[in-house]
Amino acid sequence: MSAAEQNQKQLWGREGFRDDPYIEAESLDAAGDAPAVILPLAAWLGLDDDVRRTSNRRIGVAVAPGEDIDPLLEKLDTIPLIALQFPAFNDGRSYSKAELLKGRHGFSGELRAVGDVLIDQVVFMLRAGFDTLQVTNRIALERLKGRDLHDTPGYYQPGRGSAQAGSYSWRRMPVA
Amino acid sequence: MYRYDEFDHAFVAARVEQFKDQVQRRLSGELTEEQFRPLRLMNGVYLQLHAYMLRVAVPYGTLSSRQMRKLGHIARTYDRGYGHFTTRQNIQYNWPALGDIPAILDELAEVEMHAMQTSGNCIRNVTADHFAGVAADEVADPRPFGEILRQWSSLHPEFSYLPRKFKISVTGAEHDRAAIQVHDIGLHLKKNEAGELGFAVYVGGGQGRTPMVAKMIRDFLPVEDLLSYTTAIVRVYNLHGRRDNKYKARIKILVHETGTEELTRQIEAEWQALKESDLKLPQGDIAAIDSYFRPPALLARPEGWAALAAAKKADAGFAAWVDQNVTPHKNPDYGVVTISLKPIGGIPGDASAEQMELVADIAEKFSQDEIRVSHEQNLVLPSVALADLHMVYELLLTDGLATANAGLITDIIACPGLDYCALANARSIPVAQRISVRFGAAERQSEIGELKIKISGCINACGHHHVGHIGILGVEKKGEELYQITLGGSADEITTVGEITGRGFSSEEVVDAIEKIVDTYLGLRASKDETFLAAYRRVGAAPFKEALYGEISRAA
Ligand code: HEM
Ligand code: SF4
Repeated sequence: MSAAEQNQKQLWGREGFRDDPYIEAESLDAAGDAPAVILPLAAWLGLDDDVRRTSNRRIGVAVAPGEDIDPLLEKLDTIPLIALQFPAFNDGRSYSKAELLKGRHGFSGELRAVGDVLIDQVVFMLRAGFDTLQVTNRIALERLKGRDLHDTPGYYQPGRGSAQAGSYSWRRMPVA
Repeated sequence: MYRYDEFDHAFVAARVEQFKDQVQRRLSGELTEEQFRPLRLMNGVYLQLHAYMLRVAVPYGTLSSRQMRKLGHIARTYDRGYGHFTTRQNIQYNWPALGDIPAILDELAEVEMHAMQTSGNCIRNVTADHFAGVAADEVADPRPFGEILRQWSSLHPEFSYLPRKFKISVTGAEHDRAAIQVHDIGLHLKKNEAGELGFAVYVGGGQGRTPMVAKMIRDFLPVEDLLSYTTAIVRVYNLHGRRDNKYKARIKILVHETGTEELTRQIEAEWQALKESDLKLPQGDIAAIDSYFRPPALLARPEGWAALAAAKKADAGFAAWVDQNVTPHKNPDYGVVTISLKPIGGIPGDASAEQMELVADIAEKFSQDEIRVSHEQNLVLPSVALADLHMVYELLLTDGLATANAGLITDIIACPGLDYCALANARSIPVAQRISVRFGAAERQSEIGELKIKISGCINACGHHHVGHIGILGVEKKGEELYQITLGGSADEITTVGEITGRGFSSEEVVDAIEKIVDTYLGLRASKDETFLAAYRRVGAAPFKEALYGEISRAA
């Protein structure tokens, strides 16, 4: 990725844009002395658990769509951040993983969507359980600045950020 | 039938507003066609050979008169005066201007319709038995569950970017009119010994270039578990379905490559974790949705029995139509009427604006305000009193809608083919028209009896050729359009994929080849009661191949 594109990356969450303390690196060594690092899954799994837990830096993990989250499950309470990748907007595997991590396994760290994040998927991502989105797409950035999320007034299925709609059991209303 | 409440209205209205904005941005050049593509697909807008095409969802194929009238109005105002009913019980408009599509969606929203989930890799519009709710052989109406699935799958956050499109079909009768075994999920609503409602669940059926019959993975799923079990299936598919090759991305391939037993195990394990979640359907909600579909209180009309007998005696054309196009209703004073959209030599599934309006008027007066679209590309009036049949027939006759060929050889399914479709190898519609003309004589059709011909212009199989008793597939060989013939396919409760007979036929030869097949059948059937399919299953392909290729194989 070119330096110019790198610069345009912005981190966004329900409250708006925020600073990103993390850097992405292939290994801890390659990360220099950055206080917060995201490692690829294989590198993360290769770390000694004690080293990782006693480290004074935050060490998050990036998971590609084809990679399995099972090895992470028993360590969830020690992971500060999981970044699920969207190499293309239409590769939807990370939605199911988000749902499993947040909904089933109670992951309480930061769940981040990275990759091809477009405006039309923002609401899906939030509802599936993502806390933050790393955005580079120009239209998405503009719309998020204007808080124009392409949301609907109600939803037909359970999801985060919503409450029972007082109607059929599967319906939900957004909570402010 | 289901009526939108405020929640539904607000939801659809919001989507239309969003799409208006997107179309504006496309027209102004802010969005390129490439950026616009995923957005338009979310709203049922395809780019075809010559123009944009809009596919409108007809959930489980059920329409009110008011909705049908609106479809006619749209055909007249924004298209060339007709629409095309499809094998997925939807309607397509082939020539709308992009700038008009937001207005069309506004008009549709007025009558509680939309074009969502009619394209894209999401859970598509749910289809159902077109005789649902009225068929004499039905255990329970499957449409309330179609409606629950429609709602739950609408803009589903987890399941809007599946490996490939995902189709669900439901039926509530032993005799399967909804082709559930060639769907990604097929649901057969039935009762267990205790009299409770549940589903037999089939997974992994489909056509396209690798036709497969679905596998039953659960014999009885209580209805309250519908959404949790469906979620389990779709989640396993979303996580593990192939994405490296779009032809292998359907759940049928996952079933095939993983093995039915192992995949069932994964689905059941996922379901155990979901079973008692928010997705469990309260009986009250099921009952509330079901109440929308409660059959209207039908007046007793016993006078129809005698009236019908007398009218049949007096009018041979009417008698033939009743025998072919009217099927038994739950209420013996009523019948279920199939309106054929297959006039001899016509385009299968096309209806003009005037025809749509006429059908709407008839349904309002004579069929409790309800119309169905069948996957065989016909329309259905679900509840017509026997006493009114003659009147209905006379009205249908006024606009070419009383063709007495439901289920016969001229009741052909055909995809749009090379006349409209960018993927086609060959024309489908003209072949259907020529076969229809060749066999059009009433006596000849009736002598041949039930015979389903289905035609696709390429291996994507939109015309269901794999499950035609006789299937015709357009292929391209050295720049020439050829038609490959398959025999013995069927999409009912005993679903089979047809077998290829041999080398393909040119456009000039193909109708003769069909005639040879039909004549061979007539020559070998055990009696007039043995249908083409039954005879084929008894004797196999050999006599048909002999008839088609015999001379060639002897010469070789
Ligand atoms: C003219 C534009 C059309 C195009 C470009 C198109 C394209 C396709 C493609 C690519 C597939 C295969 C999907 C797969 O890999 O599974 C497919 C399947 C299908 N299409 Fe179409 N289609 C068109 C029109 C229609 C129409 C008008 C109908 C209804 C009459 C239809 C009904 C179907 C059905 C039922 C299938 C599913 C077959 C299966 O079970 O695999 N399509 N279509
Ligand atoms: S079967 Fe092929 S030719 Fe026919 S509509 Fe589908 S994609 Fe087009």
